[in-house]
Amino acid sequence: MKILVTVKRVPDPETSIKVKPDGTGIVTDNIKWVVNPFDEIGVEEALRIKEKVAGSEVVLVSIGDKVAQEQLRTGLAMGADRAILVLADDLDPLGVARVLAKLVDDEKPDLIIMGKQAIDDDSNAVGQMLAELLGWPQGTFASQIELSDDQKSASVTREVDGGLETLSFPLPGVITADLRLNEPRYASLPGIMKARKKELKEIPVADLGVDVTPRVTITKMEPPPSREAGKIVASVEELVNLLHTEAKVI
Amino acid sequence: MHTYTFGQSDEQAMIRDTCARMLRPFESRHQEFERSLAQEGRVPEEFWQAMTEAGLLGAFIPEAYGGTAMGLTAGATACDAMASKGFGHPLYLLTSMDALCIANAGSDAVKDKFLPKIATGEIKMAFAITEANAGTNSFRMTTRAKRAGDHFVLDGEKTFITGIDQSDYVMVIARTRSRDEIKSAGLPKTACLSVFVVDSHAPGVELTPLPMRAIEGARQFTVHFDAVKVPLENLVGEEHAGGAVMFSTLNPERILIAAGACGQTEYLLDRAIDYAGQRVVFGEKPIGAYQAIQHPLADLRIRIEAARGLTYKAAAAYDAKVDAAETGMYANMAKYLSTDLAIDAADRAIQTHGGAGFSEDIGVIGYWERTRLMRTAPISKEMILNYVGEHILGLPRSY
Repeated sequence: MKILVTVKRVPDPETSIKVKPDGTGIVTDNIKWVVNPFDEIGVEEALRIKEKVAGSEVVLVSIGDKVAQEQLRTGLAMGADRAILVLADDLDPLGVARVLAKLVDDEKPDLIIMGKQAIDDDSNAVGQMLAELLGWPQGTFASQIELSDDQKSASVTREVDGGLETLSFPLPGVITADLRLNEPRYASLPGIMKARKKELKEIPVADLGVDVTPRVTITKMEPPPSREAGKIVASVEELVNLLHTEAKVI
Repeated sequence: MHTYTFGQSDEQAMIRDTCARMLRPFESRHQEFERSLAQEGRVPEEFWQAMTEAGLLGAFIPEAYGGTAMGLTAGATACDAMASKGFGHPLYLLTSMDALCIANAGSDAVKDKFLPKIATGEIKMAFAITEANAGTNSFRMTTRAKRAGDHFVLDGEKTFITGIDQSDYVMVIARTRSRDEIKSAGLPKTACLSVFVVDSHAPGVELTPLPMRAIEGARQFTVHFDAVKVPLENLVGEEHAGGAVMFSTLNPERILIAAGACGQTEYLLDRAIDYAGQRVVFGEKPIGAYQAIQHPLADLRIRIEAARGLTYKAAAAYDAKVDAAETGMYANMAKYLSTDLAIDAADRAIQTHGGAGFSEDIGVIGYWERTRLMRTAPISKEMILNYVGEHILGLPRSY
């Protein structure tokens, strides 16, 4: 089966982020960039399916600047077969979903796996929009995916408020990965070497003929208010006393 | 810390990431890891397995033998990346050097026999060149290998042999003709050495442990070879032509050592920055605000950049098969710069930590010996200055 997996280039979650003084975005100098961790979980899941289902192909897609090649190369080094980079400026979620829908027309995958959200803007929107645009079923926030023996349908366990929910639907479909779906592998040196020779196709977004006019614009970005340092207390008595007299919570 | 160095490729960045990911499960148990190095004199086996799974052992092995042949830049990047998180494995360096030697000079038979097993991590190797009377001047070695039918017979003694107790095989440099024979035949002192892969557990191999310090995760031994049978196919390169084989591994060894020293410096600097940024002694400001603490650390940061630049230039020269003299120049210079830097880093990390710097729990004091060793071995600082004086500056040789 053919599996399409999204790979977004995002700032390393361990990097400390600064907002530009004019509030138009974040300062990108000296930032380490990584594969969106939820997408990485998606790549891992696709690779596990490929290992089980003979003849499968894992195709990665990223949308963004040319430098997103680095993240695609990382996914290829993990074991994906080939990659597509759609060259575009920042798109809003609908723009991304439309670009992906167009690629799905061309690639005709049996399954799309993507991170439930990207950790940069945390929109958590593209998977749902894409499923709607394609008219495909969707299983979001997946913590477990099981395919039927004939790979014609999927059973997805979702992490929802208050517990787990299991959905079954026919494929093709869209699944978005949650944190506990798996523990992604890292690229080994042989993987990195093999990735050198794998196809990485670049497509200018204009060539796709998709309307990517933004519906969402960022008007202002500001850092969350800084929190004051906590207080270290000497004893349980002091803690209880402070919670009562100062914090007034007990 | 930003680890971008001039010319660092995306691939190197990926290798750094691979190493960081491989180390993640060990990082939360760093103290426990360090204790097992000190108490048991060996690195936990699961660390070797993790390195193998990451494919680190195959960097110098051709694809046909199960490796990646990614080369010295990749290997140096891995050494640097592991050291920068406070990890390493002495047998990684030794096994890598041996693999490189076999891959470069070995016959098909010796490559078939050993390279695939090195790539899969199945075997670990040690390296035996030094003798009690042949240290810096290797040509004074007397260990003999004599051909006897379908095998060689090895007799002699090597010393300061690191980790042979943990190894499956040891690469041994031995004479295939005695020094007297060479002298009377008018041959150069480099003649008639040969390189062998010897089973570390073969009958006639005996180990005497040495009370040594400074190498963490491996013990050192004097190794006695008493009529040890070595199969003919375990000869690496032509018989009598081992001098060149041996020399071909020295530059890569220096480059890997330099890379490890750069990584150690980064690790020590990170530790010092963390402590200096938090520790408050007078008033409100942390000690990192004091220039007596801050400037020595800033100086290390500048020098890491320089040392990495030279180290990766040396590795790139080796990978690009630039001639050995030029590669040797960079390799020696990189080793010189990086190892002195690491010693300074250990000193300053200890000083930054004050009295706590001497606590085993803090874990920087161990680097005092570890980094200092590199000024002496595998080649001393002074011998590098001699090399540069004689071969680069063209001045007369002093010894």
